[in-house]
Amino acid sequence: MTSASPLPHPAASAAPPLIAFRGVNHDFGQRPILRDIDLAIGQSEFVCLVGPSGCGKTTLLRMVGGLLAPSSGAVSFAGKTVTGPAREISFMFQDYSKALLPWRTAAGNVALALEAAGLPFRERGPRIAELLYKVGLAGHTDHYPAQLSGGMQQRVQIARCLAQEPSVLLMDEPFGALDAMTRQALQDEILRIIATSRTTVIFVTHDLDEAIYLGDRVVALYPNPGRIAQVFDVTLLRPRNQLTTREHPEFLRLRRALFDFIAEGET
Amino acid sequence: MKLAKAVVVPAALLLAWEFVMRSRGIESDSLAPPSQIAVAFVDAMLDGTIPRRTAETLRAALGGLAIGGGSAIIASVVLGLVPPAARLMQFSIEVLRPIPAVALIPVALLVLGFGYRMEIALVAFACFWPVLIYGHSAITNIEPQLIDVSRVLRLTPISRVTKIVLPAALPRYFVAFRLATAVSLIIAVTVEIASNPQGIGHELMAAAQSLHPDLMFALLLWIGIVGWGLNSLLLFAQRRLFGAAGAAVSASP
Amino acid sequence: MNPRARALWVAGSIAVTALIVVAWQLVADYGGIPPVFLPGPDRAWRALVVGFSQGELAGLTLATVKRMIYGWALASLAGIVVGALIGSSRIARDYIAPMLEMVRPVPVSAFMPVVIAFLGFSSNMVLVVIAIGAIWPVLLATVHGVSSVEPRLVEVSRSLRLGRLQTLWKIALPNSQADILAGMRIGLTVALVLAAIGEMLTSEYGLGFYILIAARGFRSADLFAGVILFGLIGLVSNLALQEIERYMLRWKRR
Repeated sequence: MTSASPLPHPAASAAPPLIAFRGVNHDFGQRPILRDIDLAIGQSEFVCLVGPSGCGKTTLLRMVGGLLAPSSGAVSFAGKTVTGPAREISFMFQDYSKALLPWRTAAGNVALALEAAGLPFRERGPRIAELLYKVGLAGHTDHYPAQLSGGMQQRVQIARCLAQEPSVLLMDEPFGALDAMTRQALQDEILRIIATSRTTVIFVTHDLDEAIYLGDRVVALYPNPGRIAQVFDVTLLRPRNQLTTREHPEFLRLRRALFDFIAEGET
Repeated sequence: MKLAKAVVVPAALLLAWEFVMRSRGIESDSLAPPSQIAVAFVDAMLDGTIPRRTAETLRAALGGLAIGGGSAIIASVVLGLVPPAARLMQFSIEVLRPIPAVALIPVALLVLGFGYRMEIALVAFACFWPVLIYGHSAITNIEPQLIDVSRVLRLTPISRVTKIVLPAALPRYFVAFRLATAVSLIIAVTVEIASNPQGIGHELMAAAQSLHPDLMFALLLWIGIVGWGLNSLLLFAQRRLFGAAGAAVSASP
Repeated sequence: MNPRARALWVAGSIAVTALIVVAWQLVADYGGIPPVFLPGPDRAWRALVVGFSQGELAGLTLATVKRMIYGWALASLAGIVVGALIGSSRIARDYIAPMLEMVRPVPVSAFMPVVIAFLGFSSNMVLVVIAIGAIWPVLLATVHGVSSVEPRLVEVSRSLRLGRLQTLWKIALPNSQADILAGMRIGLTVALVLAAIGEMLTSEYGLGFYILIAARGFRSADLFAGVILFGLIGLVSNLALQEIERYMLRWKRR
């Protein structure tokens, strides 16, 4: 399962997990969505959840985000049970066009998070400028979402999430609706942004390559009902590179293992 | 369950109204308890006042609707099929349209005097514009693919109009007519309240002036019922005639 | 269509209007209709000019416009506030909104005799009726807009932990901008109509009263002048509101 490697795992097992799922089950009416989810995620880990539709990966993410409570079991953050959205946890939605306020400019959308946090008016401007610069949108502060491309809109959402100064970033297939080139650019963008902070990231995707490229660990889920099938450790070096990392033998090995695993699960 | 929720508050308000007036023994020139209103309503129905007056109002409203709406249909079809004509008439329409029909009441009074003719004329004027605008839009917004189909099939211009343009525009025309019907009732009642001594509007005003609040409220209620009834009738017809296709095309005013 | 062609067509349509005015003049002069019924455009124009320079038209127009704007502004504000409260509460929506829909088909002018019964023939009466008439479209539009916010945006507000009032003010109401503005436009038309009728009924100082008196006195030129003014008020107020709407909804444009 985990390949023996000289590199230390980023999430040292001695420290208590930042986020933990304990015996989580979830039903939607009569339909079982999740069964027996036990997962621990440590600080600064980048964990990717992958699996086909119906495996409940988005549901798990929403539980951490406090948007949904499990039917049974517990989801905890920093040792306490999650009862609702937390200030330190920011959630990034896949449908960026619906998650941005269309009547506010890029700056206005980022400001929303600062307003919610109660930041004094005078301090908002510089902070917004800094955040938009960080995501590469310095020239688009006063543009409305309708005037921005999909990739740019998603960057605005990233900026808004970062405005919360989160310790945990939850991302729900954030690049799924974008073209391949934009997707790769944003993948590197995310890695670059969190390289300096110690943000923990839980990233949901159905793109296996993306999961391996980005993550420290890849959690593969089987569907109907969703359950954890296997956890793969990704020991590739950081910083990752779109060309070299993807050609690395370890990458290819993991890729093969993951593909086979998912294919098995579908039979 | 939903119906029950919708009815609870109004029912409670009515009961409270009744209770307050009866228990306090309030006698008023402008307010009457619901029970009295109901009685006045039944009386006015039975002695023919409501039926007679309603007929007067509807005669004027529907007559004006036919004239105004009918001419608007013709005009909108012409304008829709002959775009240069529409472009040339644009300014005149924009200048005449904002004139409120009620501002023409004194004109109609002056020229036609009291009676049906002035009311029908005013209703016709008011109904003309929405049908013209909506109808014209219906014709010019025909799905472009349908026009392509007519070209590919090499239909003659007349065939194109009768087989493709008109049927495609029909649902929107119907919606425009629904709107115009509501307008016709509103204008008719308004004209009667303001000046014309006939119809429900006049009766309503008379009841208010002669300090018969029970009859007044009964007539107010009746006007609402008529308005709601007309609209429901047309909605029903719309669904039967156009079904899902019509619903997809029409907005719901 | 290129701008030059469009400008030509606009000029053409203005020319058509001018032709219609000329035809009007010809009919008035030679058509055999007594001038007491159909004054020519020349007499109507003169009545307008004289009315403004020497007569009361300026004051009358202002009175009507003020009445219309006050009633409409008050009604719009109340409509937005009440609509926001009703729209944002499921309980209110289930119990109160149906009742509001029930009142919708009643022609607003039918409330006028009722309000007269309470307030008599007074300026207040007219204002109250205008408010009752103009609040409706705004109220219903607000309820609709506030209760149909994109669910994703609701989740965003939850995720950011925005309070209920903040969610209403920053998300639900801006989301309903288009609906509310459309409702306000309808409300303005209603306000003008009710101002006119109210003035006719109560003889309160205003354009409605003016044209009624002109009709009674067989002064058709004054009457036409007044009608033209009504059309102008309607046109200008609508255009102004349209411009405001275009500015407020500029974020929609690609």
